[in-house]
Amino acid sequence: MVDQIMHTGNKPAPTLATTLAFAIVAISITVAFASGQLVTLLLNLGLNTFAAYPEIFVFLVIAVLATIASAMPNSNRLAIVSIAGVMGYIALTYNQDMLIKYLSLAALLFSIGMYGMVVSRNAVRVLMSIELMLNAVNLNLVAFARYVDPVHIRGQIFAIFILTVAAAEAAVGLAIVLAIYRNTSTVDMEKFNLLKW
Amino acid sequence: MEQFELLTNWAQVNVEAFVLYALAIIAIPCAFCVLFDRAIIRSGFFLIGVFGAVCGLFLILQAQFLALAQLMIYTVGITLVVVIALMLTNPRLEKEGVAVEGRERFSGLVIATVFFLTIYCALRSESWPLSSLRMNPENVKQIGAALITTYALPFEFASVLLLAALMGAILLAKAEPKNDVSKIAGEN
Repeated sequence: MVDQIMHTGNKPAPTLATTLAFAIVAISITVAFASGQLVTLLLNLGLNTFAAYPEIFVFLVIAVLATIASAMPNSNRLAIVSIAGVMGYIALTYNQDMLIKYLSLAALLFSIGMYGMVVSRNAVRVLMSIELMLNAVNLNLVAFARYVDPVHIRGQIFAIFILTVAAAEAAVGLAIVLAIYRNTSTVDMEKFNLLKW
Repeated sequence: MEQFELLTNWAQVNVEAFVLYALAIIAIPCAFCVLFDRAIIRSGFFLIGVFGAVCGLFLILQAQFLALAQLMIYTVGITLVVVIALMLTNPRLEKEGVAVEGRERFSGLVIATVFFLTIYCALRSESWPLSSLRMNPENVKQIGAALITTYALPFEFASVLLLAALMGAILLAKAEPKNDVSKIAGEN
């Protein structure tokens, strides 16, 4: 579903109808879950397994709906994936501790960065994805400093070191990209095969 | 309507969770836009949105020093460097119109989803040693003291690393006049 987002260039402009319908359904099912009425509904329907884990049910429903909606012609896939991500995150973490909410958000940002690192062809976009992943790790460490170790706040000190390394990594990485661009006139990851025999 | 009343009551009780979700609603779509926006310069600016939201998260986690460092280093510094690199390279990949092969994209999607679900399940099943203590209100002072006492050596190493990395970056990015080498070689 996410695959085709980047290449809607020559198609007609996406219409709002599918996106809007998906947004309304996703938001209403998440609100129903958050206010606790989804559980009673599931129990009335006899789905006891799902009633025990309603957040898994919401997540699965949103994932299936997002796949269907983004497969429709002329749908705005970026908006659909964003809404699905936000609503899935809220549903998965609503009843959890604060620490788990932060850690799940960091894990989500890290996975987004990981996906971008794998699929991007532009080397600069790959570096942006790496920055996203480093930022997610920082968020993890600061959340640990707040909720697990609030006296010595060692997590924040580690986060400072990661910040330093991230700055160094960004400078060196972009300088390497510039040097490669000067030699090969491209920043396409597929064409960086000078070392391939 | 009754559901929304329940939710507004919840938001008044759990202010921190409410602010967290508000920032997540900014951060997650911005992160997707960074990956999927066709104009790569725009995805560079969406990066500012993600970093700004994470800066807000640091503020509600009571890490004031890190929030401001995040604002200065990531939101301004790194994004600026990325945008300048974009302008210098000017790839025009969009016109080539070819993407990474579908197989690779599918495997990337599977890897990222499985990774997220694994981490989420591990987080939920763990019982965290949560501390109910409050944070020291003077934690900036505390960080400063720790950096020059307990963590003095790593701090010095970090500064040397940064210096070396920036010098290396300047050397790598410096435009070498190619003719000079051949001219000197020819003269010799």
